[in-house]
Amino acid sequence: MKKIITLIFLFFNFLIYAQDFDFSSLSIPENLKEDANSVARFENFAIEIKSQREMIINYQTAITIFNDLGDKHSNLTIYYDKKRTINEVKATVYDSKGVIVKKIKKSDFKDYSAFDGISLFNDNRLIHYEHTPISYPYTIYYEYEINTSNTAFIPDWILNDSYSQSVKSAKFSIKYPPNISLFKSEENFKGFEINKTEKLGFLSYEIKDLPALKREPYTPALFDFLPTVKFGISKFNLEGVDGDALNWKEFGKWYYDNLIQNTLELPEVTKLKIKSMTANTSDPFEKAKIVYEYVQSKVRYISVQVGIGGFKPMFASDVDRLGYGDCKALTNYTAALLKEVGVASYHTLIFGGEKRSLNKSIASPQGNHMILYVPIANQEIWLECTSQKDPFAEIGSFTDDRDALVLSPDGGVIRHTKVYKTEENLQTTKGSYTIDSEGNITADVYIESTGTQYDDNLLGNEGKNQKELDIIFKKYLSNINNIKFSKIEVFNNKEAFKFEEKLAFTATNYGVINGTQLLIPMNAFNNGSEAPARIRDRKLPFEISMNFLDIDEVKIALPTQLKIEYIPEKVELNTKFGTYSIEVIKIDDYNYLFKRTLKIISGNYQKEEYEPYRNFRKEIAKHDNSKIILIK
Amino acid sequence: MKKILIAMVLTLMANEIIAQDYKYGKVSKEELEEKYYPLDSSANAAVLYKNRKTHFEYTQGQGFNVITEIHERIKIYNKEGFEWATKNIEYYNAPNTSEKIINLKAATYFIENEKVIETTLSKKEVFDEESNKYWSQQKFTMPNIKEGCVLEWTYKIISPIKRIEDLQFQYEIPVKKIDAKIEIPEYFVYNKSYKGYYPVSAKEEKKNSSITFTNKERSESQSLGSKAPYITTYTQSKVDYITKIDIYEVVNIPALIEEAYVNSIDNYKTTIQYEYSELHWPHEPIKYYANTWEDVTKTIYNDYDFKTELNQSSHYSDDLAVVLASSATESEKITRIFELVKNKIKWNKYNGITKFNGTKKAYKEGVGNVVDINLNLVSMLNKAGLKASPVILSTRSNGIPIFPTIDGFNYVIAAVEIENDLILLDATEEYSVPNVLPSRDLNWQGRIVRENGSSTWVNLIPTKLSETNSSMNIVFNDSGTIEGVKRTQYTNLNAFNYRDNYTKMKDDDVILKVEEENGKIEISDFRITNKSEIYKPIIEMFKFTSDDVLDKVGDKIYFKPLFFDAMTKNPFKLEKRDYPIDFGTPFIKENKVGIKIPMGYVVESVPENLAIGLSDNYGVYKFIIKIEADMINIYSTLQINTANFPSANYDEIKDFYKMIVNKNLEQIVLKKV
Repeated sequence: MKKIITLIFLFFNFLIYAQDFDFSSLSIPENLKEDANSVARFENFAIEIKSQREMIINYQTAITIFNDLGDKHSNLTIYYDKKRTINEVKATVYDSKGVIVKKIKKSDFKDYSAFDGISLFNDNRLIHYEHTPISYPYTIYYEYEINTSNTAFIPDWILNDSYSQSVKSAKFSIKYPPNISLFKSEENFKGFEINKTEKLGFLSYEIKDLPALKREPYTPALFDFLPTVKFGISKFNLEGVDGDALNWKEFGKWYYDNLIQNTLELPEVTKLKIKSMTANTSDPFEKAKIVYEYVQSKVRYISVQVGIGGFKPMFASDVDRLGYGDCKALTNYTAALLKEVGVASYHTLIFGGEKRSLNKSIASPQGNHMILYVPIANQEIWLECTSQKDPFAEIGSFTDDRDALVLSPDGGVIRHTKVYKTEENLQTTKGSYTIDSEGNITADVYIESTGTQYDDNLLGNEGKNQKELDIIFKKYLSNINNIKFSKIEVFNNKEAFKFEEKLAFTATNYGVINGTQLLIPMNAFNNGSEAPARIRDRKLPFEISMNFLDIDEVKIALPTQLKIEYIPEKVELNTKFGTYSIEVIKIDDYNYLFKRTLKIISGNYQKEEYEPYRNFRKEIAKHDNSKIILIK
Repeated sequence: MKKILIAMVLTLMANEIIAQDYKYGKVSKEELEEKYYPLDSSANAAVLYKNRKTHFEYTQGQGFNVITEIHERIKIYNKEGFEWATKNIEYYNAPNTSEKIINLKAATYFIENEKVIETTLSKKEVFDEESNKYWSQQKFTMPNIKEGCVLEWTYKIISPIKRIEDLQFQYEIPVKKIDAKIEIPEYFVYNKSYKGYYPVSAKEEKKNSSITFTNKERSESQSLGSKAPYITTYTQSKVDYITKIDIYEVVNIPALIEEAYVNSIDNYKTTIQYEYSELHWPHEPIKYYANTWEDVTKTIYNDYDFKTELNQSSHYSDDLAVVLASSATESEKITRIFELVKNKIKWNKYNGITKFNGTKKAYKEGVGNVVDINLNLVSMLNKAGLKASPVILSTRSNGIPIFPTIDGFNYVIAAVEIENDLILLDATEEYSVPNVLPSRDLNWQGRIVRENGSSTWVNLIPTKLSETNSSMNIVFNDSGTIEGVKRTQYTNLNAFNYRDNYTKMKDDDVILKVEEENGKIEISDFRITNKSEIYKPIIEMFKFTSDDVLDKVGDKIYFKPLFFDAMTKNPFKLEKRDYPIDFGTPFIKENKVGIKIPMGYVVESVPENLAIGLSDNYGVYKFIIKIEADMINIYSTLQINTANFPSANYDEIKDFYKMIVNKNLEQIVLKKV
């Protein structure tokens, strides 16, 4: 009975707020309309942690939308699952004068399974409503309340998570009981006026009048430079399992003891098998490699996320029987096998994909992926157990260079994963081409990649059949028309840690005949680079996310029937973003050696540096298109 | 004699050894040991065998259910084929009626040390998921997959809604053998429609069938004071009927691989669809669902409420009167009614041939699906005295309907018949104009359904050329940069697409896009004319500079005559093509460039003129260059007169584009005096 009263009371609260507010779009200040497709008029985001096992999330917002580019903000999606119920949801649409156009009830929403694009099955669901506007501007107000037992996952406060939207006012508050401590990490507060209230059992933030930001190329993620707060609590519940942790050490121990410890058992047959497979070596590195390759040949990645299964690995014995599993299951299976052959390894929680570290200052379940950490002697080895193609100990750009949580029976430790130096991400192109007097080209190319460039080719090219490779390499060499390949071979050379590609082709009309002249674009095999777009009055910093080095050496044989009129000169560019050089070295009258290097250094740069970077890339694109000129 | 006998016995035995056993669980060693698909070594997986049986079963109290039994055997050759180890079985699952999947069995087989190892799928590895209110799916992935393994599954679908699942014969992997048998009692009539290139035909047979009913009758007891007031008697009766059988036996169907410029690959996968069209219940009038085009029309008008929806007019009559009062000609009437509907009802992005809000509610609330919108349009046009009718069609992503079926259609537009002309209208899009439909509508033919029940095909593909005409004037600066003005005019579908993409954006953002498309130029003084005057061509104008389009070598300057507008890459890269080429619309692209020869330079060489054509006047390309006083004038025009080309024309089109690209790459050379 008491519960019902609280609910009605809360509901009543909303109404008062919504009724008091002027929903007309006329009062929006001009500075919030600039570069904005929409304005968040207000956002009230309130979290109440009732106990270790109960959290109420309350969200209300009103967004005014100016044009159809802002319509996505009137598409409402709310997730739920067995542990997370939607108590209340409703929405109202107002026209520009603030008159109600439409009231939307929960029954107007459609219910779907929340397909994540990867999983065979997960038990998350969602409700969705898509509004069709009849005129602009309009304002959508919506509110919902969610009740969940998963107190381990307190939502972040991300101030403004979209471009082209300004914020009039945004409030966030969190209430928690006295027996629980709240951890928080405030990021990027500098330069913003944030009104903060903190007292026992309560914390709130408020910010006002935040202008819209326009998306610009090479911009880092919004939460990397706008105010964001992340939270954790000392006593939490995760899919029905209670937890208790004040720091990463304790959190890691809790995770290991509750979610990993009892999943490692293997069937006797498999134990014997892996022992006999590794019997011939006593070197732990060799043993680990044999185990990793065994796992690659035995299993494949299939994701099934149900309840605690979203956090706890499948039993190693089940993976053994089924031959599949998700990242946790496959990491766990590899760990179980390694344990059997006497090599210690550790489950590691991490963010996979775009470079993103765990937030070190809050001990809470973070990350979206699991890999395996194997320290052997002085080496730190990281294993990506979901890949059937990666060579042993290569993780590539999916999990490189970031902080991750390594779990063990002794507790958790934050470690930084492998950093690939620019020179390691190397692509060397060696080859030769012959041009006849009609401009037709006959070519042989050998490309070798290591580091993250290895990884790119592995994902894109390995295992593809000839028809697919034909399309892939016609795209790669799109600067050459009319290609006919006589050879395309790709080879994942795991032993030598490199990806190898061998091509042979002919193409008519590569050189352009101009009256009596023949123009030959000199850089035939690595010529796809384009300068980034020009941005007038750039406002945001930029990021070069990939560092790499390309080295090309190509022999050129020119048609002896023609005279050589022009050979491009040597070029060297040297900037803080990287270096570039090309040179054509004469071997004899009709034979030359073309040399090119391009090195790009990753990093975060100020907005003022964008134009110099763009000029650097423009120069490169220009010189890559230099032509040798022959004449009859 | 003996020899012959032995030989015969041997051959027979040999035959038996070769013959595959297609029973569930009887996977052969040959199948397990096969390293690659014999007819296509690039296949990652193959369907070794598929058996599909559909029949009707009568259950007293329920009536007929459609029972479909499926058995599939899949071979996985390599890791790239692993995705074929995951299966989704969709089934209808609405609140009141739902299909059931029963008897699901599945297993993985592979050979290890000469022994066949079998791993069976367990129940808990099968997931049941509600996709939406009406459809669910059962999903599973096979255990213990290895390169070279063979998978098998079998299950039954019981359908009270009498759905006969599509018979798909072609996949992205090759198929060795498919057997299918569809048995339908004479009471039910299904329309068969066929799509795809690979020929498949049914052997038709008939058989006698019967149902035994048990009838229960209760009558009041005649004897007074009896304990039981009613007496129940059982009688049995038998009904005989004929069952029609379609038998399909197909072998060696090649894989279908996706290629560029195909509207939807599903249009080309060989598939036979069965659509429920008539019910001939004994002693009852025939109930039609769909059959001939006249039936389709009738069904649409009656069962799909077109008639009711079209007859509602009170909600718009005032607005219509205003519009008509100021329209003098028929074409003015059409345009103004069209604009009224566009203005009044916004499209909620839903397709279909069933109303969403209904014409009246949609008009009042200002929101509707394609049916609500375009039926309002038809209704108003009729009220205004024009001869308007709905045209049903299938959008590009929905495939091409060929046979009279309702299920094949998912969209409705409006058509006005004036004299011998037909004007097509789709009011879902703000920027569409009469006879310029959005690309999604441009899928071959639609079917006009007139109220009098008559119906004919209507060509949806535009016949008018969509134009892009640009002219550019360029001068050279001393520093090796160029400066110029460009004006581009778009008409018809190109204008529609331009408006749809750009006019909502701020100019700065459009500039960014245009710069990105053209590369190498920097734009200023950007202007779009006729943004919202959609009955006029849209015009884009800007000034530009570029420091990256000239090559200065010694005392010479090299550049492409069309600069950044040159077509430098052939869009057709494949050696061979199996599917038609679909341009969407016939078009013309015209570029005029005027270049002022800089002081102190003379023309050393220019590319030669070119005029080439495709056969049957399907297309032409012209490139003309003239030097007049201190100007070089270039005129380049590419015209494609038909939207669709059969794959037989592929080589010709590829060569045609190759010549255009070669010409566009040739350079003008200027030399210092």
